[in-house]
Amino acid sequence: MRGPSGDPAVSAGPSPRPAGSGEAGSPVRAGSIWARLPERLQPRERERCGRGDLRRVESTLLVLAFILLAVAVVNDVVRETHVNERLAADARTWRTLTHHLDYQNVSDEQDLKNFTTRDVLCGDTQPGPPDARPQVCLIMTGPILGDGRRAARGGFYEPPYRPDVAANRYACFGSAVREGLCRLPTPPGYPDAPIRGADG
Amino acid sequence: MSSAVVQPVGGAARRARPAPALSRALTYVCGGLLLAALLEVVLDASVGHTQLIPYTPDVAGWLRETGIGELLGYRVFLVALLVSTAAYGGLLALARREAISRRWAIGLVVALGVIACVGPVLLSTDVFSYIAYARMGVLHGVNPYLHGPDAIRGDPIFRYVGEDWHHTATAYGPLYTLLSYPVAWLGVLGALVAMKAVTLAASLGTLWLTWRCARTRRLDPVFAVLVVGANPLYVIYGLGGAHNDVITMLLMMAAVALTFAGRDAPAAASVVAGALVKATTAAMLPFMLLARRRWATVWGTVAALAVAAAVSYPVFGVHGLDVVAALNRDAALVSKDSFATEIAHLLGKNGVFPVDHDLLKAALVVIVAHLLWRTWRGYDWVAASGWTLLAISVTSTWLLAWYTLWSLPLSVVTRDRRLLVATLAVQALFVAHQLAPLFSPVPS
Repeated sequence: MRGPSGDPAVSAGPSPRPAGSGEAGSPVRAGSIWARLPERLQPRERERCGRGDLRRVESTLLVLAFILLAVAVVNDVVRETHVNERLAADARTWRTLTHHLDYQNVSDEQDLKNFTTRDVLCGDTQPGPPDARPQVCLIMTGPILGDGRRAARGGFYEPPYRPDVAANRYACFGSAVREGLCRLPTPPGYPDAPIRGADG
Repeated sequence: MSSAVVQPVGGAARRARPAPALSRALTYVCGGLLLAALLEVVLDASVGHTQLIPYTPDVAGWLRETGIGELLGYRVFLVALLVSTAAYGGLLALARREAISRRWAIGLVVALGVIACVGPVLLSTDVFSYIAYARMGVLHGVNPYLHGPDAIRGDPIFRYVGEDWHHTATAYGPLYTLLSYPVAWLGVLGALVAMKAVTLAASLGTLWLTWRCARTRRLDPVFAVLVVGANPLYVIYGLGGAHNDVITMLLMMAAVALTFAGRDAPAAASVVAGALVKATTAAMLPFMLLARRRWATVWGTVAALAVAAAVSYPVFGVHGLDVVAALNRDAALVSKDSFATEIAHLLGKNGVFPVDHDLLKAALVVIVAHLLWRTWRGYDWVAASGWTLLAISVTSTWLLAWYTLWSLPLSVVTRDRRLLVATLAVQALFVAHQLAPLFSPVPS
């Protein structure tokens, strides 16, 4: 295998020789195994200086790809901004309705399956480490209202350290009753009072 | 390394012109803004853990004791990132037009690198995974290619490893894993300091090789070094997070420099070494083989692979060389910053589906095939490698900031300036995608 020279300054750009000239078109040395290939398949040390059609096509595709990516990025930033505003309103609503104004660890679950704005926010019923106490969860829907909150249509409770599935939910109220979200009877001694303002 | 030895092509007249006072002042302003923004991030990050800063061993307590910083929030970070990006853009524009002092440029990129590395770990827990894998192998006798860090839950490093990676075996190559083994004996803090020192050294090596390669190709080395060393994503994410991508960039640039020197076998071995740190580096090899068409390249590849197999097999078994499995596993991951996810959202889809992975792979195959053909017909293999690495990051469903760095040093040592423009455009889009918290509060 006989390769090109290692001079990077020479091999860095297109060949200055005109396209179609014998030398520029066949840079493979005589006797090389590549010389047996048809000219259009032979390797070259440098690109021929053609009319620049290929470069133009490549550049056009790159610009189109950039425009697509840029539109997608802008769209996603707008979408994320709206989601952040919504989730901030959700957290504000949860804290107001549960009277836990200083709680930080409120988890939110978005409807990523159907892309609706229905969110479920859960937090401890009493002060403690995250998820270490019975959880009260509120279902938020609709737009952000004038007071910076969203409408809470219902909710339910969950024992601590349990995954959020129907078998672990109890004491449903509001829309959660109609949706049949709870299957667990209220465990003895656990809170179960519907949250005022979120009871449908 | 005197810049007078080689006259830069395509800008010789402009480069010879000394910078007027206004341009010089603007250059200093841009450099000062880059330093100030980075200092702000590092000082704030040293105060403690936030959503942006992972729990970190007390590696930057002396910075915290200065009492200057405040906990780093999204708003301050994003403003600093935007300021850095604008200053970087201004600096590059000035560097294209006027001669920037070589000493000043080198001083700036070295200062940025040192500041990024002396602070706490920024924006990623990956470095703790590196250390965890080393400690698994050395202190616990656990093969990091078969188990995740959860196999050493009692180890002091475990609490720092990202939750998403507790069960994940290492996806890095055996060379990197072996090289990281000695840090296991240094303790957690010592290991972190060593990792940061290695990252800084690799960065300085990368910048030096970038300078050399640019000069060899009669391109402006000052501009090349500024493009890489002052890049905000390189400094804040790459160096600040002590990512091993910087080591792969060093080996990539070593391969390019060796090829320029006509040393094909060591060049191929360097690419293989890079791939044995992070598999994506292997993307350079077919282009090198096609462009050079020398047996030395083949022998270098085979020899490096043989040495790697001989060294890593006794330590890791066959799993250490099963890079394809690791790549397939990572290819299935999806991050919210990936362009694939953003396009899916644009099209009204909830996210990326398996069929989308197949479409993206098909697109990548088409791009690589086109580049291979063009390389065969004389296109610059360094540029083709850069395009391929950029295409890998753009089509990946798991895009992280430091993945957009792979093509950066290659883009400044090739004459096809479209690669540099495309790389910077992709980075600009990445930065733009981070900005949502500037327009709305991040829910806590």
